[in-house]
Amino acid sequence: MADVVLFFASNADTMIATKALKDSGITAKMIPKPANVTSSANLCLSIEAGSVEPAKSALGTAGIALGGVV
Amino acid sequence: MSLRVRLLGTIIGAIVLFFLISVIAARLVLQRDLLDLGKTEVTNGAGAFGGYWDSRKDQIKLLVSQDAVSDSLRKILQAKNVGAMQDQLANIARTSGLSFLTIVDDNGKVIARANGPQPGTLAQNKLIQRALTGETVSTATLLGPAVLAGEGLALQAQADIKGPDGKTVAQADQGIALVAAAPISDQNERTIGAIYGGILLNHYYDLVDQATRALGGSAALLDGDAIAASTIAQPDGTRTVDVQVPIADSVLKTGQPYTGSDTEGGTEYLVHVDPIQNDQNQTIGARWYGIPMTQITGIINHTTQTLVLWGLLAMIIALALAIPIVQALSNTLAKRSQQVRAAAKELGVVIVGAEVSGDHIAQTKAAVEKSGALIAEIQAGAPSPKMSELRAVNDELEGDIIVIDTLSQEMSGRMQQAVHRVAELNEVAGGLNELVTGEKN
Repeated sequence: MADVVLFFASNADTMIATKALKDSGITAKMIPKPANVTSSANLCLSIEAGSVEPAKSALGTAGIALGGVV
Repeated sequence: MSLRVRLLGTIIGAIVLFFLISVIAARLVLQRDLLDLGKTEVTNGAGAFGGYWDSRKDQIKLLVSQDAVSDSLRKILQAKNVGAMQDQLANIARTSGLSFLTIVDDNGKVIARANGPQPGTLAQNKLIQRALTGETVSTATLLGPAVLAGEGLALQAQADIKGPDGKTVAQADQGIALVAAAPISDQNERTIGAIYGGILLNHYYDLVDQATRALGGSAALLDGDAIAASTIAQPDGTRTVDVQVPIADSVLKTGQPYTGSDTEGGTEYLVHVDPIQNDQNQTIGARWYGIPMTQITGIINHTTQTLVLWGLLAMIIALALAIPIVQALSNTLAKRSQQVRAAAKELGVVIVGAEVSGDHIAQTKAAVEKSGALIAEIQAGAPSPKMSELRAVNDELEGDIIVIDTLSQEMSGRMQQAVHRVAELNEVAGGLNELVTGEKN
């Protein structure tokens, strides 16, 4: 299954999201922002495509605003 | 100055201030109220002394009036039996406590005296004149030297009057007396003479002693402005007599009572002075009644001392309670201050560590980038599957190092803000420590 990229408004949000997903048992890898993503942050998170919905739920619970999914 | 010293100083200062104001206020109120109370007491005492005075005056009037209607005296007077008359007058005067007792005929000529055979006339005496008109008269009066000499009382009235400084300022040769005169009538109610008697009050202590025994305090009778008789004690225990009383001047001049302070015999008194007036309403002397001012000041001083002692006790109790509380408060603050300083110190180490780590990550990133460039150069010259695999690993490594570097820079920015915050925190902790312990770091 291909990976998807989650991006956020800032690097700080990206860091907090990494911790939130980790606590929820979702594996996320922090990567440099791909060229096709438009965001003020330099970092993004890469997760498995099947984990998108649980990740969105975990981020919503943690109160972290998701910038988009690519 | 440490916090505990300031707190304890504030507590002590507040107690002392409260205490001083309370003592001063209590003293002022006591002084005013007790002085008012004392004035009421001496005014009442003087009223009672005046009662004894009036009673004695009435007693003399009664004695003289009774003698005036005595059958035996009338018969002796009609018989002109001077010897028998003199004996009887002497007997009456002695038993009734009169200083003098004299009988005159209807012309005012002296027929007989209780104190001796001195002849003379009292025709010019206003009281005798009134008595010979049928009136019974009773009053206080001044007896001149001639009258006193005639009654054999001149020596009792003579004295050197001393001023407040102890120096002789005048010679007294007249006396103040309570007297009464009454007509003597025959069986047809025709006035055939008069009887005249009284008490010379100079150096006569019965009246003042009676007042002092009953009322307490001290009493005095003033002939003019000089003490004629008193119970005011001198430092050596003797009576104060033949001494001028300066405050009596206003009473003699105005005829109005005086209430206030007066010092006699070396003692300050709160006194009330009432004027003594003769039958013509002329002020001829005064009645002085007083209580020692120490009776009032003693209460004030005792109350003040009691307040001071209780205040000191309250201060000691308050300090005993406050010291442990202040100590505990200071210790807690000092402990918190030390904790803040220790935390600030550890944060300082973290900041330095973050800065050093950032530098090291930047160096690692540069090395990985250089490694990628070398792999690309080798692959361009001699492509191989292993080199392609190595390049893929290096690309992944480069991606990771970019992430780490970005995170490091993010943390570095936040650490810079933390540096300012920690510096402020350290400053606050230092100030807190100085406030509590008084020590500068």
